[in-house]
Amino acid sequence: MTSAAHNAYLNTRVAAKATQLFSLDDVRRFSLLSLGEIAQEFVLGSILEETGSARAKGRAVEQALIQVLLEELAQLVRPMNHEERGLVLAWARKFALFNLKTLLRGKIRQLDPQEIRENLYDLPPQVRLSNEDLFRVESAVELLRCLEGGPLTLLARQAREIYEKRQESFALEAAIDQRYYAELARRVARLGDGKAARQMRVLIGSLVDHANVLWLLRFRFAYRLSPSETFYQLVPSPHLLYRQRLLDLVSLDDEVKVIAALPGSLREVLTGSGNLMEIQRRLGMHGSEIARDVLRHGECGLARALAYLMLRETDQRVVFTVVQSQLLNLPAYYVELALGLQPSICVHQWQEAA
Amino acid sequence: MRHVRLLVLREDLPQASLTLADTESFHPDPRAPQEQRLTPLEDCRYQKLYQQARSRLDKIRQVIPVPDADLREIRVVPLEELSETNAWLGEAWESCLQHQERSRKLAEQARLLEEQEAALANFSELHVDLGALRAHKRFLDLFIGVVPRENVDRLQGALGLAGHLLFKYMERGGNAHVVIAGPAGERETELQSLLATAGFTAIPLPQGLDDSPEAIQAEQRAEREHIERARRELEQEVEACAASFRDRLARAETVLTLAEPFVTLDPAIRSAGHLACIAGWVPAEALPRLERRLEQTLPHPFSMESRKPRSDERPLVPSVPVRHRLLAPFAMLVKQYGVPRYGEIDPTFLFTITFLLMFGTMFGDVGHGGVLALLAWLFRRKLGRFYPFGVLAGLSSVVFGFVFGSVFGYKDILPALWMSPLYDPILMLQLALGWGVLFLTLACSLTIYNRFAVGEHIAAVFGHHGLVNLVFYLALVWGGVSLGATGAFGLVPAALVIAALAALAVYNWFHLDSPIGEKILVVLIETLETVIGYISNTLSFLRVAAFSINHVALAIAVLTLAGMMGAVGHVLMVIFGNIFVIVLEGVIVTIQVMRLQYFEGFSRYFSADGREFAPVRLRRPPRPA
Repeated sequence: MTSAAHNAYLNTRVAAKATQLFSLDDVRRFSLLSLGEIAQEFVLGSILEETGSARAKGRAVEQALIQVLLEELAQLVRPMNHEERGLVLAWARKFALFNLKTLLRGKIRQLDPQEIRENLYDLPPQVRLSNEDLFRVESAVELLRCLEGGPLTLLARQAREIYEKRQESFALEAAIDQRYYAELARRVARLGDGKAARQMRVLIGSLVDHANVLWLLRFRFAYRLSPSETFYQLVPSPHLLYRQRLLDLVSLDDEVKVIAALPGSLREVLTGSGNLMEIQRRLGMHGSEIARDVLRHGECGLARALAYLMLRETDQRVVFTVVQSQLLNLPAYYVELALGLQPSICVHQWQEAA
Repeated sequence: MRHVRLLVLREDLPQASLTLADTESFHPDPRAPQEQRLTPLEDCRYQKLYQQARSRLDKIRQVIPVPDADLREIRVVPLEELSETNAWLGEAWESCLQHQERSRKLAEQARLLEEQEAALANFSELHVDLGALRAHKRFLDLFIGVVPRENVDRLQGALGLAGHLLFKYMERGGNAHVVIAGPAGERETELQSLLATAGFTAIPLPQGLDDSPEAIQAEQRAEREHIERARRELEQEVEACAASFRDRLARAETVLTLAEPFVTLDPAIRSAGHLACIAGWVPAEALPRLERRLEQTLPHPFSMESRKPRSDERPLVPSVPVRHRLLAPFAMLVKQYGVPRYGEIDPTFLFTITFLLMFGTMFGDVGHGGVLALLAWLFRRKLGRFYPFGVLAGLSSVVFGFVFGSVFGYKDILPALWMSPLYDPILMLQLALGWGVLFLTLACSLTIYNRFAVGEHIAAVFGHHGLVNLVFYLALVWGGVSLGATGAFGLVPAALVIAALAALAVYNWFHLDSPIGEKILVVLIETLETVIGYISNTLSFLRVAAFSINHVALAIAVLTLAGMMGAVGHVLMVIFGNIFVIVLEGVIVTIQVMRLQYFEGFSRYFSADGREFAPVRLRRPPRPA
C-alpha cells in the first residue's frame, strides 16, 4: 500500500468514526439524563440491569467502555506499519500500567487477591501485561522481581530498589508514569522530521507537556521536593517543555511564577486557574482542543487516528462519569464539576489539594 | 452427546466431583439453570484456598523439583486439609523466595565486581591517582559508580540543579560509568534521594590502591572466588531444601490434584439448601459407566437426568476430538483452524488422507521421503506427539517415489511404477485439475451434509457452497470439459449454470435487508464472486502438479551441477544439493498443502467455531513416551 493510499484508508476510517464524538452540548445533555436513559443512549442496559452493587456495576460499565475503545484501536492499527502501530499501542499501554499500579497498591496494602483481580481491566493481548505470573505474587517486592524478568526490567529494578528503601508506592508510581511518557516521547523522536512527525510531536508533546505541568506543581509545591528531585521526575517533551525549559521552571520558587513562565498557549490556558483541580480540568480541555485540531486539519493518518482515540477515550470517560454519578446519586452540581462543565473550586489549600 | 443434570446432596459434592473427574467423561456446563432457586455456591473458601495453594506450588516448582501426585487412592480432600496444605506451601514458598533473593544478590555482587574491574582498567589507562579519589574530602563530594544508561541525561540535569557535576567516562552494556562531584555537605539528603531514584550504584574502590596491579587483581580474584563459593553453598542449600521438602511437596501435589475437580466444576454447580445440581455434557456411550461409578462412590442417593441437546443449544455442545495416536498431529493442525461443531463431520481423517496424497505427489522421492521419515523417527522424543506427522509424510513421499521412480533425484536406480512427472507435464496438470474438482466437490458435499446435520436446511441448499453451488460448479466443470473436447459448452450444462446462478441471486435478493441499490450491487457482486471463486479455487490445485514437476526439476539441476565437478565435488554436490532440496522443498510443499487444505477445503465445509470436549479430569503425571 502506498503512503498516500495508506493515509487515505486510515483517514477514511477515522473520519467515519469521528462522527460519533461528543460535542460540549452532548456532554451537557448527558449530565441531565436518568440512569435508564443513559442505559438506552449508550446500550448499557444489560450491564446496568444486572444485580450487583453500584461499585460492581460501575466496574462493569468501565470495563465495557474500555473494551469498546480498545476494539476501535485494534481496527485502526491494522493498516499501520510496525513503527506506527508500536506508537499507538505504547499510548494504549496506559491501561496495562493502570493494572500494574492496581496490583502494586493491592500488594502493598496486602489486599485479598480476589479483590485486586476485580479491580483489574481485562485487556487484549497487544496491550496487557504479558506476564501471567504477576497475578500470582504475594508481595510488592515479589511483584517487582517478577517484572524484572520481562520488558520492564530496568523500571522494575529501580522501582524495587526505591521500594526496598522507602516502602511506599508513590516513588514506584511516579517511576511507572515517567517511564510511560518517556517511551512515548522516545517513539515520537524516532519518527523523523516529516509532516506526520510534526503533527505527532504536537499531539504526543502536548500530552507530555500536560503531565509535566501537573507533576512539576505537585512535586515542587505540594510534596516540597527540591528542584533537582523534581526535575528528575519530569520528561523532556518533544513539543513545548523541552529539557532546558524544565530546568528553568523547576528553579522557580512559587506556582504563580511557574505558570507565568510557561510558554505561550500553556500560560494563556492556566493563568488564573488557582488550584490543581482547575489546572487539571483546563489542561484536559486544552488537550482535547489540540486533538480536535489534529483530527480536523491534520493530514497524517497516524496522528488523526491517535487524536481520535484520545478524544474517544475522553468521551468514554464522560459516559463513565455520568453513569457513576447516577449510580452514586450525586447532586447535579458535582456531576457538572466531574464533567468539567464548571470551573473546579477547591475548598482546600493548594498543598492539600494535591 | 447428552446433556446431564446431576442432583446430589451438598455434602456429596466433593466426592461427586472426584468421580466425574475420574471417569473423564463430564464436560461442565456453566449456564444458569431455569430454576430461580438454584444459585451459585456462596462459600468460596475451598476455591480460594485451592487457587492460592496451586499458585504457590507452581512458583515453588520453578525453584525446586516437585514430585508427581500419588493417585493410587482417590479420596475427597476436606477443607481443613487444603487449608493446612496451603499454609505449609506458603512457608515453603517463603523459604524458596529467600533462596532466590540470595541468588540474585550474589548475581548482583558478581555484576558489580565486573563493573569495578572495568572501571579500574579504565582508570589505569588514565594514570589517575585513585587513592586521591578514594580519600574522604572535607569540601568535596565525590561519587564513582554506575547508573542505567538511559537515566544519565536526566540525572546530569538534576545534579546540575543541586550544584553537582556528572562526568560519564565509559559505557558498558546498559550502564554508564560516571564520576559525580560537587560541594560537600550542603545537600546530602537531597543528593542521596536523587541518586537512589536514578538507580545509581557506587563502585567501591579497593583498599591499597597504591599496590601493584597484580595485588589488586589477586584481591578481585579472591572476591570472585568468594562469590563462586557462596553460589555453590547456596546450590547445596537449595538441594538440601528440595530433599527435605520432597515428601511434603509430593503430598501437597496429591492434595491439590484431588481438590482440583471440585474447583474446576464450580461454575457448573448450583445449589439450594442441602441440594446441589451439576450440569454438563457427557458422551452418550459413557453415560451407563458414569452412573455406575456414581452409584459406587456416592454415600447418599442422587438423581441423574439426561436428554438430547436442544437445537438452540447446538453451538454450546462440545465435540469429542479424534484420539487416534497416528492422527494426533493432524488433529493438532485441524485444531489450529478451529474445532468442528457438534454434529459436523470431524475433518481430521479426511485431512490426513488428502494431506498425505498431496504431499506425496508434490514431494515424491524414495530417498527424500525416507530421510524425512527416518529423521522424524530418530527425533521422536523431541517431536513428541508430532512425530507421526513426519513419519507418515515421509512414507507418503516414499510411496510416490516408487510411483515416479525417483531416488534422491536419480531416475535410473528404480524402475518407475508409472512415470516421472516431467515426462508428461500436461497430463500431470490435467490430473491436478481433476483432483481439484474432486476435492472441491467433496468439500461442498461435506458442507451440505454438515448443514443438514445441524438443522440449517435452507443454508444447505442455497447457502455459500451449498447444493445449488455444487450444481453450478459441476455444470461448469461439465461445460468446461465439453468445451475442451468438442469446442461447445453444451446446452444442458449452460442451462444448469444459469439456473443455479439465478437461484442464488433470487435467494440473496430475498435474504438481504438493505436498500434496493445496495441489493442490486450485492447480488451482482456475490454472483460474480461465485463464478470467479470456483474457477480460481479449481486452478489453485494446479500447484500440486507444478510442485511435483518442480521437485524433479530441482533434482535434475542438482545432478547436472554434480556432473560438472570432479569425484569429490560430485559426491559433495549430491549430498548438499539433496539436503537443500529436502529442507527447502519440504517446507514449501508443506506450506502449499496446508494452504490448499485451509483455504480450499476448511473455509468451505468447516465452520471451526465448535467447542472442544474438555472433561473434568485428574491431573495425572504424563506417561513416558
